[in-house]
Amino acid sequence: MTMMAGFHGLMAAALMTGASSAALLAQDMTDKRISVAITETIAGYNPYGDAVVLVGSIWCQVYGCLMRYDFDTGRPIPYLAESVEPETDLTWIVKLRPDWTRHNGEPVLAEDVVHSIDRVKNDPASAQGFIVQPIQSIEVVDDLTLRITTDEPIATLRDNLTLIHITSKKQFDELGEQSYREPVGAGPYRLADLSIGSHMVLERIDDHPMISPTNPKQIVFRIMAEPEARVTALANGEVQIAQGIPPQLVDRVEQLPNAYAAFANSVEMMFLAMNPSTAPWDVPEARQAVAHAINREAIVRVLLGGRATLLDGPVGPGQFGYDAAFRTPYDYDPVKARALLESKGLLGVEVEFFTPVGRYTLDRQIAEAMVPMLEEAGFKVQLQTPEWASLWSNVQAGGVPFYYMGRGQMLDPSRALRQYFETDGSPRLDYSNPELDALLRAERGEFDTEKRYDLMRQAIAEVTQDAPAAFLWLHQMAWGVADGVDYTPRQADRVDGWDIHIR
Amino acid sequence: MLGYTVRRLFGVIPVLFLVSLLVFALMQAAPGDPVSMLISDEASAEDRARAAEAWGLDQPAPVQYLNFVRNALNGDFGTSFRYREPVMALVLDRLPATLELALFATLLAVLVGIPLGVLSAARPNSVLDSIGSVVGFFGISMPNFWLGIMMILVFSGYMNLLPSSGREPWGMGLDRVTGFLTLDAVLQGRWDALAQALRHLAMPAIVLGTSMMGIIMQVTRASMLENLGEDYIMTARAKGLSGRTVLWRHAFRNALVSVITITGLEFGALISGAIIVETVFSWPGIGLLLIQGITFRDFPLIVGLVLIYTSLFVLMNLLIDLAYSLVDPRIRMR
Amino acid sequence: MASLTLSSSSARARFGFLLTPKALFGLTVLSALVICGLFAPLLAPFDPAKQDLMRAMIAPQPGGPHVLGTDHVGRDLLSRLIYGARVSLLIAAAVVLFSGAFGVALGVVSGYFGGRTDSVIQKFLEVFWAFPPLLLAIAIVAFLGQGLGIVILALASQRWIPYCRMSRAEAMALRDREFVVAARSLGAGHLRVLWHHILPNILPSTLVVGTFAMATAIISEAALSFLGLGVPPTIPTWGGMLADARSYISTSWWMALFPGLCIFVTLLGINLLGDVLRARLDPKIRNL
Repeated sequence: MTMMAGFHGLMAAALMTGASSAALLAQDMTDKRISVAITETIAGYNPYGDAVVLVGSIWCQVYGCLMRYDFDTGRPIPYLAESVEPETDLTWIVKLRPDWTRHNGEPVLAEDVVHSIDRVKNDPASAQGFIVQPIQSIEVVDDLTLRITTDEPIATLRDNLTLIHITSKKQFDELGEQSYREPVGAGPYRLADLSIGSHMVLERIDDHPMISPTNPKQIVFRIMAEPEARVTALANGEVQIAQGIPPQLVDRVEQLPNAYAAFANSVEMMFLAMNPSTAPWDVPEARQAVAHAINREAIVRVLLGGRATLLDGPVGPGQFGYDAAFRTPYDYDPVKARALLESKGLLGVEVEFFTPVGRYTLDRQIAEAMVPMLEEAGFKVQLQTPEWASLWSNVQAGGVPFYYMGRGQMLDPSRALRQYFETDGSPRLDYSNPELDALLRAERGEFDTEKRYDLMRQAIAEVTQDAPAAFLWLHQMAWGVADGVDYTPRQADRVDGWDIHIR
Repeated sequence: MLGYTVRRLFGVIPVLFLVSLLVFALMQAAPGDPVSMLISDEASAEDRARAAEAWGLDQPAPVQYLNFVRNALNGDFGTSFRYREPVMALVLDRLPATLELALFATLLAVLVGIPLGVLSAARPNSVLDSIGSVVGFFGISMPNFWLGIMMILVFSGYMNLLPSSGREPWGMGLDRVTGFLTLDAVLQGRWDALAQALRHLAMPAIVLGTSMMGIIMQVTRASMLENLGEDYIMTARAKGLSGRTVLWRHAFRNALVSVITITGLEFGALISGAIIVETVFSWPGIGLLLIQGITFRDFPLIVGLVLIYTSLFVLMNLLIDLAYSLVDPRIRMR
Repeated sequence: MASLTLSSSSARARFGFLLTPKALFGLTVLSALVICGLFAPLLAPFDPAKQDLMRAMIAPQPGGPHVLGTDHVGRDLLSRLIYGARVSLLIAAAVVLFSGAFGVALGVVSGYFGGRTDSVIQKFLEVFWAFPPLLLAIAIVAFLGQGLGIVILALASQRWIPYCRMSRAEAMALRDREFVVAARSLGAGHLRVLWHHILPNILPSTLVVGTFAMATAIISEAALSFLGLGVPPTIPTWGGMLADARSYISTSWWMALFPGLCIFVTLLGINLLGDVLRARLDPKIRNL
């Protein structure tokens, strides 16, 4: 059985990647191990229990997900699924691949998908319930076919399916939670070791269709919280890929004799949120004054070493809804900012400005640099730097009027825009704009990509103009990569084994 | 002596309860709730309610505390919110790392501090004494986090001599028996692994041990000077015993009580100092776990860790008291 | 303070020990700290909060406008160090004062009255004593939030213990001494005895404990700031500056070197002074 599965796998690999016949010989495959220094922590064995994007992507390499992102086109493409197609406005048909198997040779079945979605929804440990929120029901059509019914038209369902790890129902029925400790996945890597909060090790499945001979045999993900430590480890050859090189260390990486820096735009918009149900942010001019007051060019040049892309709205290049021709009406203009405040008699208005510390690239430093800019425009600013736990809980509860924040996972901005800017999307901004609501509703119900793109553009223009938030920039994420390793960092924070090649 | 030990051990229990109550009260007063920290920011209200219920956070605080106490009495310290593992399993998994670090730091402090103190006292106001004093004062005045950063910069950054963080490279294939890597390596005859473990230990242990070394040196010197002035030393000298014998056999033996006391007292500072050193060197011990636990408002983990720290500290104090009676049989334990 | 009126020769006898190199060094450091703290606005060449992104991360230049260089947002490092001294001093003084007052009061009562009062107070002490140093402070700041007051409370939460132990022991020894017994028999109330007869005799030891407590407070505050649990990061503190510097250590060494040196020299000075005071005033006291 395993042999057969392997054979099928190899055939598929040859067909899919067009790899040379040499790739079919296991001895020609590289036996190199790659260590990756990552910044986030690893919560445990339960793949549904982790809210960290990078760790989610690691589990996707072990278990497999129905879809995955093709970063070249910016669209989700089939992974464990053969196809995911809309049937009606509210139903989708998912077909699984007949020829891919789990690491033990067993097939991936429709019941596994049903089980996995149930786990995401109902596992008390699940941190990912939001992914399946639009899914009303799911039924097995046959062993390899499913029908998903949503409660409203959701054009971005495929996007959600890139995040669901397909675990085995049979395994879970036999072993319960214990089954997560020895995962039998269908992805191109198997879990070799995991130490909570410390490291995670993957091992290549040599005959997996997605594997090419140059993919590393083992990938060690090591948590290294300190940026200096990551760079040092890269310099000594302790790690071959280092995540999150802060702007001030990029030069050092570039000067290393044994490594280089590679860049990727993040899909995390950085913005200043202003809650319009609190004073003075109920006055549009005050919000506009903020947008005019911030000298984004200077901050990006000095603090970020130029490593950021200025935003003209919530999305940038490579994200859905981006329009290269669209310009924000709020350029840096301190005089205008002051005039706007003055026109409403708000000069000298006291505001509290909140920033996280150590959460985003140089967050506090950036916020500190904004304070004199806001004061120049006529605000009187009290900078607050609460610990992340209290700030984040408070932001989610809607208790913070004015803050610097990032919102990640925005390859497709649909969910994020709904969350922040649609009426009742979440308490965190308490913003309501019927026009925008209508656009966002129409956008996510539109299955025709061209039409949807058009609606999204309109929504983006509307939210930018009304300025419940000042959209700032996308950080350019720098990665350190050792010579001899081919790796192009991706927009979302993820490190996929099939993307890494040993030269 | 046995009776004394047992009584002391039982005396610890009420203290641990009060400690847990204090920590619980602090956590209730804390801003920031675990649910917001631990589940996705896209989670719905139902998701949140379900998570809160699963963790027992929907109960009133006194009920939560009573539940905790009841379970703790049965040896169950709860399940970490973030890691979904039993707290004790997590802590015990990490504890050897912290203990190994603390042990090596102590060893370093003792092996440098005591001889330096004794030799300084043997020749007061000599060059050696001055060096000893300088080392002693530098040791106690050096902020360990700063020393750590500077050492990483020099020894890992510029010289590429020592690894900057962590406890071992992955894939040494060393079986965990005791959890102490150096000991495991020796037991399995894996000299390569021992070398790796020591290379990783070197900087954190030096940084952690520096302050203790300074204090031990000072205390040793002071009590040596005190003892060397006593009559019995004069007598010993008069009897023609060699300087070295008098120094180590007589004076040092009596100075040992103070040295043991201070070593024990400083052990508390050492294990809390380890919290900082572990953060600087990403050392996978309980200190790093604690800081992560605080960041994520992982209540059960925090309470469990604080209790472990407290027990360690209290037990250490007990050990010190017992050690007295071994060194100085005149001290009777009541 | 009565000593101020004594003749100069007797003053030399009493305070001559402060003229040793060790003590002088300690006094100099401490006075420098106090002067910086009191006159920071006059001494600092720049506003410590004034940013200038165009002048970020300038290396130290003797003779230049920024003698010790600038930080990542172009603030003058020297000015921030001077203002940082103010915070360190303020926190250390407040911690020493509060924990001293609390600890001595509790200790004196405990030792003087003995019996039930003593055992209740000792149980109370035991709970706080059970926390390894700094752990309780970390817990308090993490859970009660950042702020100058909370940091002081957090650091004082355990620093009162040594005062309490020391003054309890001394009060126990003093309560049976003749002059105390005599005062009691002359009808003096407990409060009066404590205030006039016990407390003055405890002061020298308190001074010694207080000096070392100051060193501990300064380093603990820096450690908390370094962990991101100190005073709000917008207030310049040495520990906070070090925490900032951590991200720039290989590119701007001066950002880490100078605050670290400041902490180190301050601690060195206080420890040296404490050592001298201890030798003179109360050799019994070791690290409590």
